[in-house]
Amino acid sequence: MSPAAKKTLVVTRFDPDRDEAPRAQRYEIPVQEDWMVLDALNFIKDEVDGTLSHRWSCRMAVCGSCGMMVNGEPRLTCKDSLRQYGDTISVAPLANFPVVRDLVIEMDGFMQKLESVKPWILRAKELAVEEGPMRQSPAELEEFKQFSMCINCMLCYAACPVVSNEPDFLGPAAIALGHRYNVDSRDEGAGVRNEIFRAEGTVFSCSYANECSEVCPKHVDPAAAVNQAKFNAVIDWATGLVLPRGGAK
Amino acid sequence: MTRPAHPHAMQPRRPGRTRTAPPALPDRFPFAGRYLAYTLFDLTGLLYLAVGFLVLRAVWALGNGPEAWQALREQFANPLYVTFHVLALVSVCFVAVRFFRLFPKAQPPRIGPAKPPPGPVIHVMLYVVWLGVTLVMVTILAGGLF
Repeated sequence: MSPAAKKTLVVTRFDPDRDEAPRAQRYEIPVQEDWMVLDALNFIKDEVDGTLSHRWSCRMAVCGSCGMMVNGEPRLTCKDSLRQYGDTISVAPLANFPVVRDLVIEMDGFMQKLESVKPWILRAKELAVEEGPMRQSPAELEEFKQFSMCINCMLCYAACPVVSNEPDFLGPAAIALGHRYNVDSRDEGAGVRNEIFRAEGTVFSCSYANECSEVCPKHVDPAAAVNQAKFNAVIDWATGLVLPRGGAK
Repeated sequence: MTRPAHPHAMQPRRPGRTRTAPPALPDRFPFAGRYLAYTLFDLTGLLYLAVGFLVLRAVWALGNGPEAWQALREQFANPLYVTFHVLALVSVCFVAVRFFRLFPKAQPPRIGPAKPPPGPVIHVMLYVVWLGVTLVMVTILAGGLF
């Protein structure tokens, strides 16, 4: 094994019991060539400073727990190699979120927004078991498949300038997930969700900065979902003026 | 830490018992990295507002006879006005290119039974329409149509 190189991590620290405001702390650590940013943070936690707090779980860009600002950009730290950065790397909690401690952000606001779009299949009437499975063609699956790849890592919220300024904005991931069910052929809840989408602080607050799609580690393209949802919400409103509404309530 | 975002950004409806640090703005917002293009895109609105006033002024000059119109044309020959109009043209091109890039993916997968054409086709269609409208305008301004 080659001798370990050294890198300096400038980590944002915040202890709610002691600190008035977040502060930066430098750690110079030996790193291996194949380490991700998360490996460096885990090394600090295990070997240098056990008081450092950060979230992580799967280490393979599936759980969405380890999103942080790395050199000012929202990144999944388990997917981000140290090699792509210089000798000094800054790591901070995700922007646009209140900070609970060090690199750990307050997630409840996001969870409430996510839940508000009813991200599950809504049916006017559940199918009986005897009626068999709901069938879906590959073409129907293709219409929403990319939006179902979201891992709720919240990087899109950390990049969105509207989230920074409008506390009530539902945000990219929640809208993308709501839209994902609206275009799912098995779902009958589009009327309900489109009513949510037409309210203040939802799809029409988006100014299409496209930052959410730029930073998405799973290539979900939330900006596309939000802007498709705008169109569908308007069409749904217009057809609702002349046709009776069906679907789930 | 960077500059603060809205103090209630991404706050839960009922704050928890633990004291939290307020949310920070993304480091590069609004003038660095990719945010610069977004900010410039929005700022061009101010330029179009000014262009709108100039158009109103031109209409007013037209309504006040040939002398007023001639005087306006002489004013517009001033290098400051020329620079402003070149800037406006560059802004229109910048906005159009950005809009054309983002527009195709904003199309819903289908409207009723109808599906929109694939993204690259929409992209090409937008440029063709833009080019066509520009050619018609140039022909009119050159006196080729009327």
